[in-house]
Amino acid sequence: MSEKELGKKWDRCLADGVTKLGTGLGLGIVFSVLFFKRRTWPITLFSGAGLGMAYANCQNDLRSHYLPHRSQKQEL
Amino acid sequence: MAARIWPLVKLATKVTIAGGAVYVACDSGLLGSSEQGSEALEKAKAVVPPALQEWIKYFGLEAQLPTMPKMEFSPVNSWNAGVRWTISSLSEAPTKASEYTSQGLQYVKDLIK
Repeated sequence: MSEKELGKKWDRCLADGVTKLGTGLGLGIVFSVLFFKRRTWPITLFSGAGLGMAYANCQNDLRSHYLPHRSQKQEL
Repeated sequence: MAARIWPLVKLATKVTIAGGAVYVACDSGLLGSSEQGSEALEKAKAVVPPALQEWIKYFGLEAQLPTMPKMEFSPVNSWNAGVRWTISSLSEAPTKASEYTSQGLQYVKDLIK
């Protein structure tokens, strides 16, 4: 894959990571305040889950260039 | 009777709020693929400044708050410049080190003479 494409993928990864971390943090705060008596662990759990989702997305995105896609399989 | 229903009502309210938050997060694509996430970020960036302006006008704080100065600071450019500077100094480091060593040795030799 070209350098430009790779750079764009990394930019998307970073932005995605920040977004999902923020979302996880927000949801963690909501759940912690509402159900878990303002403890810290839901916040950590949800933020970690968000980071994990971002990592998986990034991994998929970076690998997708080297994997055969459905349209190619149909051609075969 | 009200004393028995009240905890249920509280629980129902909490579940509604939490469920609504999860629904909004999933629906706006914040928890989807990276493209959806970046779309959501773009939408948020487009929406925030006008919303902020509206709020300021609504609260009548226009006269009090000074206008935000246009910042010409770009973190991306600073980061890239920093990376370039680091790598170039790392690549020049051995040459410079040997230069300085030889200069220092020369200086010491001159002192000893």
